[in-house]
Amino acid sequence: MNNWIEAYFVIDFISAGLLLTAVSMNALKRIESCVKAYTLNSWLLASLIFVIALMNGETHLYAAAGITVLSKGILIPLFLGRIIRKMRVTHEVEPYINNVVSLSISAVLVAVVYTSLSDAVFIEGFLKNVLQISIAVLLIGLFIMITRRKAVTQVIGLLFMENGLFLAGFSLTSGMPTIIELGVLFDVLMGVIILGIFAVQIRRTFASADLDRLNTLKG
Amino acid sequence: MTAVNTGISCFLIAAIISILPLQKIKRYTYIISSIGSLGFGLFALSIIFSAPSKLYTLNISSAFDFVFYGDALSGFFLLAISVLAFAVSIYSVGYTKDMKNPGAAGVLYNFFILSMYAVVLSGNIITFLISWETMSLLSYFLVTLQRDEESARAGLIYAVMTHAGTAFIIALFLVLYTQTGSMDLAEIKLYASHIPDTLKNLIFIFSIIGFGTKAGIIPLHTWLPRAHPAAPSNISALMSGVMIKTGIYGFIRINLDILQQSPEWWGITVIVIGAVSCIIGMLYALMEYDMKRLLAYCSVENIGVIFLGIGAAMMLKSNGLYTASSIALAAALYHTLNHAVFKGLLFLGTGSVMHATHTKNMEKMGGLLKSMPYTGLFFLIGSVSICALPPFNGFVSEWLTYQSLLSGFNSVSIASKIAAPLGAAALALTGALAAACFVKAFGISFLGMPRSSHAEDVKESSASMITGMGVLALLCLVLGIFPGLTLRVISPAVFSYTGAGIMPTGAGFLHIGGSLSDLSPAAILISIIIMFITTVIFIFIAGGKRKISYGDSWDCGIKALTPRMQYTATGFTKPLRMIFRKIYLPKRDLNISYIVKPFFLSSIKYSGEITPFLEVYIYRPLTSLIRGAARRVSILQSGSLHLYLGYILATLILLLIFGGN
Amino acid sequence: MEYLQFILIIILSPLINGVIRKLKAQMQGRPGPGLFQSYFDLIRLFKKDMRISNTTSWIFGAAPYILFTSTIVAAMIVPVITTVSPFSVMGDIIAIIYIFALGRFFMALAGLDAGTAFGGEGSSREMTVAILVEPMLMLSIFTAAISAGSTNIAMLASISGPIYTPSHILALSAFIIAIIAETGRIPVDNPDTHLELTMIHEGMVLEYSGKYLALMEWAHYMKQMLLFTLAVDIFFPAGIINNTEPAALAMSFGIYLLKMFSIAFFMAIIESSRAKMRFFQLPSLLEGGFVLAFLSLLTYIMTGR
Repeated sequence: MNNWIEAYFVIDFISAGLLLTAVSMNALKRIESCVKAYTLNSWLLASLIFVIALMNGETHLYAAAGITVLSKGILIPLFLGRIIRKMRVTHEVEPYINNVVSLSISAVLVAVVYTSLSDAVFIEGFLKNVLQISIAVLLIGLFIMITRRKAVTQVIGLLFMENGLFLAGFSLTSGMPTIIELGVLFDVLMGVIILGIFAVQIRRTFASADLDRLNTLKG
Repeated sequence: MTAVNTGISCFLIAAIISILPLQKIKRYTYIISSIGSLGFGLFALSIIFSAPSKLYTLNISSAFDFVFYGDALSGFFLLAISVLAFAVSIYSVGYTKDMKNPGAAGVLYNFFILSMYAVVLSGNIITFLISWETMSLLSYFLVTLQRDEESARAGLIYAVMTHAGTAFIIALFLVLYTQTGSMDLAEIKLYASHIPDTLKNLIFIFSIIGFGTKAGIIPLHTWLPRAHPAAPSNISALMSGVMIKTGIYGFIRINLDILQQSPEWWGITVIVIGAVSCIIGMLYALMEYDMKRLLAYCSVENIGVIFLGIGAAMMLKSNGLYTASSIALAAALYHTLNHAVFKGLLFLGTGSVMHATHTKNMEKMGGLLKSMPYTGLFFLIGSVSICALPPFNGFVSEWLTYQSLLSGFNSVSIASKIAAPLGAAALALTGALAAACFVKAFGISFLGMPRSSHAEDVKESSASMITGMGVLALLCLVLGIFPGLTLRVISPAVFSYTGAGIMPTGAGFLHIGGSLSDLSPAAILISIIIMFITTVIFIFIAGGKRKISYGDSWDCGIKALTPRMQYTATGFTKPLRMIFRKIYLPKRDLNISYIVKPFFLSSIKYSGEITPFLEVYIYRPLTSLIRGAARRVSILQSGSLHLYLGYILATLILLLIFGGN
Repeated sequence: MEYLQFILIIILSPLINGVIRKLKAQMQGRPGPGLFQSYFDLIRLFKKDMRISNTTSWIFGAAPYILFTSTIVAAMIVPVITTVSPFSVMGDIIAIIYIFALGRFFMALAGLDAGTAFGGEGSSREMTVAILVEPMLMLSIFTAAISAGSTNIAMLASISGPIYTPSHILALSAFIIAIIAETGRIPVDNPDTHLELTMIHEGMVLEYSGKYLALMEWAHYMKQMLLFTLAVDIFFPAGIINNTEPAALAMSFGIYLLKMFSIAFFMAIIESSRAKMRFFQLPSLLEGGFVLAFLSLLTYIMTGR
C-alpha cells in the first residue's frame, strides 16, 4: 500500500469504527452483545495496527497486530463468555441511566475530547484524529464502568479503556517497543482473569453480581 | 575501612544465615553480629579521632546519591550503638532460644542495627531520610514480632507517632534545602548562616517535634511505654538504649552542628523540655508495676537529662561561655552513652526475669535474687547506675550536667541565670525520684519472698545471657570510674561545636577549671574499698567473732508471715500518689461485700489507677478531633465503585478542558 | 593531720548524738542518759550475737557495710577543722549528696529484703521524704555554690567577706529543714520511737541486730554530724583555718566543737518544742522549705547578695 491518501482514508475509517463500537456500548442491552462489541472493537484495533505496520513496514508491528487479535479478539471474549455462562446472571445490562441519556452523554464526552484536543501542539501528522478517538474511547469506557451495575460490564468497560489507551500509545509513538506491548497485553489478560474471578467471588459472597452491595465493605 | 567492611559483612552474613532453614544453629548467628559490632566499634574510634570526611558515595543519578559521612559526632554515636549491639548480640544467643519466629527476628535484628549505623553516618538529606525511615519500619516490625493484640496496638501507635515525627523532619530538611540549595549536610552547614532567623526558628521547632518524637520527650513520649513492652527484650534494649538516641543525634546534628549559633531562648526552651521530661517521665515510671513500662518511662526521664545538657550547651554558648558549653554538651553525650549501657543492661535483666518467670508484673515476683544471683547483681548495678549513684557511670554525667548548669549563673541574661539552677533542681528531684523508683523495681522484684507461683522455682539464665549483661555491668563501672578516658572520646565532637575542649587531667579524674570543682570516682571507689576492709578488721577487733542465728522475719507474734503481707509496688508508691495527686489524678474503687452488714465481710476488692493526664487531656481530644474530621471527609468515601469511577471521569474531563490546550 | 580530720567525725558523732539526747531530756525535765550513752550502745551492739531473717539475701548483709563506708567516704571529702582538705579532689558537695543517696538506696533495699510490712513501709517513706528533701537541699546548696563560684566544699568553707546576706539566710533556713528531714528528727521522724505506724528510719532497720545494727546506727550518727559540719562549713565558716599549724588546728577544733554543740542545742530545742507531724503533712513543710530555697536563689540572682 503505497498510496498515502488511501492509507489516511483507511485509518480514518477504522478509527471511526472503533469509536462507533465504543459508543454502541451505551445502546446495547444484552451482555453478550457487549462482548461482541468489544470483540469487534479489538479486531478493528488490530487491523489499524496492521495498516500502520504496512505503512511503516516495521515487522514488530505485525506481531503486535497478531497478538492483539489473539488475545483481545479471541481469548478475552471467550473467557468473558465463559464467565457469563458460569455466573448465570440475567442477560440484561441494567444500567443506572437509560440508553438515550447515556448516548447523549457519550456524545458530549466525544465533543469535549474533540474540542479540547483540537489544537494540541504535541501531535503531528496523520495520527491526530486517532489520538482524539483513542481518548474518546477511553472516556467512554470509563463512563460505561460508572453507569453499569454488573461486575462483568465493569470488566468490559475496563477493556474498552485499555483499547483506548493502546490506541493512544500508537497514535503518539507509531508503535511502542514490542516488549512494552507484550507487557501491556499480558497485563490486560491477567487483569481480566483476576477481575473475572473476583466477579464470580462477588456473586458467590453477595448472591449477586451487583456492585452496589460492596458499599457495605467500607470502614 | 577494613573494620567497617568486616562489620557490614558480618551483619549481612548473620542476616542471611537467619533465613536459612537451620533451626538448631540459628541463634548462634548472633555471635557473628557481635563480631560485626566490634568491627563498627573500632571503626567508630578511628573516625572520632580523624578529620571529618566522606566515607562512601554511591551515585544513583545527578540529583540523587547516597553519601556516607563521618565526623566525631557520628563516630561517637556509632560507638554507643556498637557497644550496646555487642552486648545485646551476645545476650540474644541465649535469649532467642525459645523464640517463636527466630528467622524473622534474626534478619530484622541485623538490618535494624545496620539501619541505625546508616542514620548516624548519613551525609546528605536523602540518605538520612531513607535510613531513618528504614530504621523506623524495621523497628515497627520488631515491635509487632510477637503478633498479639498488645503488640499490634503498640505497633500502630508507634507507627503513627514516628511517622508524624518524620513528617516534621522532612519539612525541616525541605526548608534547609530550599534555603541552601544543597542536599549535602556538610554543604548545608557552610551556607547555614545565610538562613533568615524566622526560618531558623521554624527549623528549631520542627526539629524538636520531629526528633523529639523519636527521642520520646514529654508530651511526645506516648509510644515509648507501649512499644518497649511489646517488643522482645533484646530489641527493647536496643530501641531504648540506642534507637531513641538517633533522635538526640538528629537534634544535635541540626541545631548544634549545622545551625551552630542559636538564640538564647532555644537553649532555655530545650532546658524546660528536658526538665519537664525528666520529672514527668520519672513520676510515671514510679507508678508502673509492669517492669518494661517502668523502664520505658525511665527512658523518657533520661532523654530529659540529655536534653538538659544539650539545652545548657546551647544556652551557655549563646551567652558566650564556651568552656561551660563544652562541659554541658560533653555531659549530654556522656549521658547518652551511659544511658545506652545501663538501660540496655536493665532491659536485658528484665528480659532474663521475664524469661524465667513469664511475667512482666513485678507484683508477682519477689525473692528472685536468691534464685537468679547473677541477673540480680547485674540488675542492681544497672539500677545503681541509672540512679546516678557514685561510683557508677550515671553519676559522672549527671555531675557534669550539674556543673554546667551551675556555671550558667555566669551568663549575662537574667533568664539564663534563673533557668540554669532550676534545671539543676529538676535534676536533683529526678535523681531522688529515680532512686525511689529503682528501690521499688529492684526491691519488689528481687528481694523479699516470692509473691506468686511465677517467682518460685525459677532458674538462672543461660551463660550467654549472663555474659551479655556482665559486659554491660562492667561497662557501667568502667565508664563510671574512668571519666577521663570517656571524655577523650567525647571531646572531639564537643570541640567542633564550641571550639573549647575539655581536657581531663587523668583517666579517673575530672577537674572543672572555672569553678575549681573536682570529681574522682576512681578515688571514691578505692576509698570505699579501703574503708570497707578497715571496717571489717575494726569490727573483728571490736566485737570478735559472734554467732549468727537464722530465723523468721519479725511477724508481730502472729507466727504466719505470708508473702501477701509484704509491701507491694503499689503500696510502696502510695505516699507519692497522694503527694503528687494533682499530677497523677488517682482514681480508687473500693468494693466491699458483706455477709451481715456491717460486721461480717465476705470480700474486699480494691482497685486503683492513675489518670495519664497527657493522654486524657491532649491525645484523646486530638484523636477525636481527627476522627471527626475524617468522618466528615469520609462522606466522599461512599464505598460505591461507580462513584469512585465518577471522580476519575470528572477529573479527566476537567483536565482535558483546562489542561488540553 | 589534714588527712585525718574525717576521723573526728567518726569518733565524735556518737557524742554529738548523746549531747542532743541529753539536752532534749533536760528540756523535758528528765535526767536522760549520759553524754556517752551512744558509745556504750554501739559497743554493746558490737558484742551481741546476730539473728538474721531467712528471707533475706546478701543485700541485707551488704547494706550496713555500704552505708557505713560510704558515709565515711563522704566524711573524708568534708573539711572539718581546716580547709586544707586533700581528699576534696575526690568530689564536691554534689558528690557528697549522691554518696548519701547511695547509702540510702541500700538501706531502703535492706528494708524491703526481709519481706515484712514494716521494712517496706520504712523504705517507702524514706524514699518519699528523700524525694521532697533533695531538690530543696540542692537548691540551698546551689545558692551558696553560686555565690562562692564553686561546688568544692573547701572553697565554700574558705570564702571570705560578708556571707550573712538575705539570700544566705533564706538558704540556711531551707538547709536546716533539709537537715532535720535527712537526720530523721522531729517533726519529720522520731528517732526515739519504735511505734510501728510512725517510724521511718527505725522501720527500715527493724530486722537488724548486733554488729549490723551498730554499723547502721553509727552511720546514722555520722551522717547527722556530717550534715551539721556541712552547715557550718557553708553558712558559718568563721573560725575554720586554712593551714595546718598544730596550734591553729587546736584552736579551730575548739571552735568547731562549740559550733557543733550550738547546733545540737538548736536541734534539741526544735525537737522539744515541736510535735511530730503526720506523714502526709510533711509535704507542706518540705514544700515550704523548697520555696525558701528557691527564694534565696532568686534573691541572689536579682540582688547579687
